[in-house]
Amino acid sequence: MLEQLLIFTRGGLILWTCREIGNALRGSPIDTLIRSCLLEERSGAASYSYDAPGAAYTLKWTFHNELGLVFVAVYQRILHLLYVDELLEMVKDEFSKIYEPKRMVYNDFDDMFQQLKKEAEDLAEKMKKSKQPVKAVNANLGKKQGLGQKGGVDGGNKKKSGDDGNGDEEGNKTKNYGYENGHSNGEHVVNGEVTAVVGANGKENRSSNSGAFDKDKLKKLRGGKNGGKKTNTTAVVSKGPKEEPKKKPRVWNDSAPETKLDFTDPVSENGADDVPDVAMDQGESMMDREEIFSSDSESEEEELGKDAKVETKKTGWFSSMFNSIAGKASLDKADLEPALKALKDRLMTKNVAEEIAEKLCESVAASLEGKKLASFTRISSTVQAAMEEALVRILTPRRSIDIMRDVHAAKDQGKPYVVVFVGVNGVGKSTNLAKVAYWLLQHNVSVMMAACDTFRSGAVEQLRTHARRLQIPIFEKGYEKDPAIVAKEAIQEASRNGSDVVLVDTAGRMQDNEPLMRALSKLIYVNTPDLVLFVGEALVGNDAVDQLSKFNQKLADFSPSPNPRLIDGILLTKFDTIDDKVGAALSMVYISGAPVMFVGCGQSYTDLKKLNVKAIVKTLLK
Amino acid sequence: MDMENLETRVKIQIQKWIVEAQELIQRTPPSQLYAAVAVVGFTILLLILIKLFKRTSSNTIVLTGLSGGGKTILFYQLRDGSSHLGTVTSMEPNEGTFVLHTETTKKGKIKPVHIVDVPGHSRLRAKLDEFLPQAAGVVFVVDAVEFLPNCRAASEYLYEVLTSASVVKKNTPVLILCNKVDKVTAHTKEFIRKQLEKEIDKLRASRTVVSEADVTNEFTLGTPGEAFAFSQCHNKVSIGEASGLTGEITQLEEFIRNLVKA
Repeated sequence: MLEQLLIFTRGGLILWTCREIGNALRGSPIDTLIRSCLLEERSGAASYSYDAPGAAYTLKWTFHNELGLVFVAVYQRILHLLYVDELLEMVKDEFSKIYEPKRMVYNDFDDMFQQLKKEAEDLAEKMKKSKQPVKAVNANLGKKQGLGQKGGVDGGNKKKSGDDGNGDEEGNKTKNYGYENGHSNGEHVVNGEVTAVVGANGKENRSSNSGAFDKDKLKKLRGGKNGGKKTNTTAVVSKGPKEEPKKKPRVWNDSAPETKLDFTDPVSENGADDVPDVAMDQGESMMDREEIFSSDSESEEEELGKDAKVETKKTGWFSSMFNSIAGKASLDKADLEPALKALKDRLMTKNVAEEIAEKLCESVAASLEGKKLASFTRISSTVQAAMEEALVRILTPRRSIDIMRDVHAAKDQGKPYVVVFVGVNGVGKSTNLAKVAYWLLQHNVSVMMAACDTFRSGAVEQLRTHARRLQIPIFEKGYEKDPAIVAKEAIQEASRNGSDVVLVDTAGRMQDNEPLMRALSKLIYVNTPDLVLFVGEALVGNDAVDQLSKFNQKLADFSPSPNPRLIDGILLTKFDTIDDKVGAALSMVYISGAPVMFVGCGQSYTDLKKLNVKAIVKTLLK
Repeated sequence: MDMENLETRVKIQIQKWIVEAQELIQRTPPSQLYAAVAVVGFTILLLILIKLFKRTSSNTIVLTGLSGGGKTILFYQLRDGSSHLGTVTSMEPNEGTFVLHTETTKKGKIKPVHIVDVPGHSRLRAKLDEFLPQAAGVVFVVDAVEFLPNCRAASEYLYEVLTSASVVKKNTPVLILCNKVDKVTAHTKEFIRKQLEKEIDKLRASRTVVSEADVTNEFTLGTPGEAFAFSQCHNKVSIGEASGLTGEITQLEEFIRNLVKA
């Protein structure tokens, strides 16, 4: 049975609720729906699952954008009510007829609702009788969050094959990218709340991915400062020269090996306290510098003007002029389609993952459909404004990203503040760990590094070099040790010698490497760090979604605790190499819900910035 | 092609008009011309004055605070004197210009108040910046029951409000309103005030460290070297109690009527 049906304004006032059903809902599914689904630009999804102790509800909703109304139906998840969609539509139609902005009480809607419900139930009954086999499939699907039929089937199969297929696919790297959508149909458990994401068409992605992957890889091989993903050993060597003051201009093509690659100090690694190149005074970190963001609105205007011209040519000058003056009655899907398509393409050229661009556009469409177009505006600019608002909303962090505050709070409790850096290979975990250390040092916070990359040869030495240059203690136990234990000892050591912050470096790992992901999950479970920072490179395209969601998924799956720690924040590296293709920032934030806390944007210790949300949004929509 | 043709035609037309206008100016006597210019100038001046005058007597009150604090209920209590069927998390601001519900029975002309209820969800915080510059007063709603778990988030938000450029520049008075005091488990307003002050004191220490990076936070709070107290703020920060559910909102109404005289 239907548990609850609510009608409320976007402002948050409940206008009507079905009093006869009137069961008290357990938990607060409606508020959770709004907070974690509708406000996260996921309103394009078909349904939402709410889990609380003793309650498992499925929620469906629909908007009436012109009047600013939201209709939400809540029912028990085990019941697969087929008539809810129709019922919502009918209620929407009928209610919008009697709605007046000034009126607050709609008791007379009760009778109407009973009638509508009966109609909807009858309709569902009829459908059930005529399509018995379909129902069986549907019941099956219901377990998979009652998603759209196609997505549900896809996701279900993939999830199954994904888990046991891990072993086979490890060897074949390109395959990793193939089944990336499997997980998104499952449940992401975030702080005990369950978010169901409707899976996009896996097939579509698979074909487009192979192209994106190649491109990314090429870029990485050419431009990656840490070497490609496979060439770990050379990465160690080339890391050295980065901070050298005598650094020569980088040679990008294949002639690189001819020049001297080994720039590491002639001084032996272990001795020599008087290292000449102590990097303690490289000026203030860019985290602390004000960024002057020149608004190039002029060029934007110009571009808009151009757009306008193109459009007017297409649709006929007079009618479009007339429309723009009079204002269109209300927008429908067909009106929005071309503008959204253009916007989606634009986002994708900025390196936003396709799946995410698609979902964003759906959500924007859902928020605009039925709205009145104001006078003197065009559809494209209306859509653009809505998208801009949505993007700002997504990128604005939900939680505070004031690390200093957290560090001081931990200090007051007499505990070191532990940050764990995780990520795939070669994204710059160690380098940016050093940058963060440098930034913290500048604010008189005592820092300690913990070399928990006990896997890749040279990793400890690399970190030791940074530690020596920054003159901070490093905790290391060599290789082949359990990183979880090393981290634990490091934290104990830090509380002994009074360090405020422990930065834990971990080995890079592909998101599908099960043993390594298991180890990482253990490390996080054992040490309960204050911050799990995912390091991701800005170069990444569609794979960003895969990396982050799999990391989160694996951390949740392998953790022995019922409330596993997930990724708290994102450090975006190689931001200086991407020009205007800033889409990875959006993809990562959207898929994980975690804020971008730092942005690495160069080779020196000072090159660490905060994310400028406005600049990113502007670049994305340019 | 059409477009180009049209453009050239329009250009020719405009040039024609300019020539005509010049001729007209030459024909009219200069004294008349001066008078016309004076009239136009005077009108513009008047318009500017009106705008300035309007800005000084703003009647906007902004309701803000964390999500779940009860802002929307308070908004409807002020407007209709009823909480209707309850509320859910707001997705858009509620705005309205009206005479407070308790004053509708009074005789005489009462100046209506423009009240804005800004959603508290952190994704929607950006909306606050649109309304703060026109605000005559800010009401920061705090949930007195669920205060401790949200203490840090609330004080961070309050810190942002208190240090925002428009509040500092215009000395906008702020009322910290402890809502839901009808509940037995509600904290007292003194306790809440102390906790908020303590948290803001800590925040101040960490924010001044990073403040150079943040363009938005160029203002600091309180007197350096002293424990923070709301009395140190340049603008008036008061604290009050209310209960949105039962409609006990006299302190809120007093605050509003002090700022927007009836």
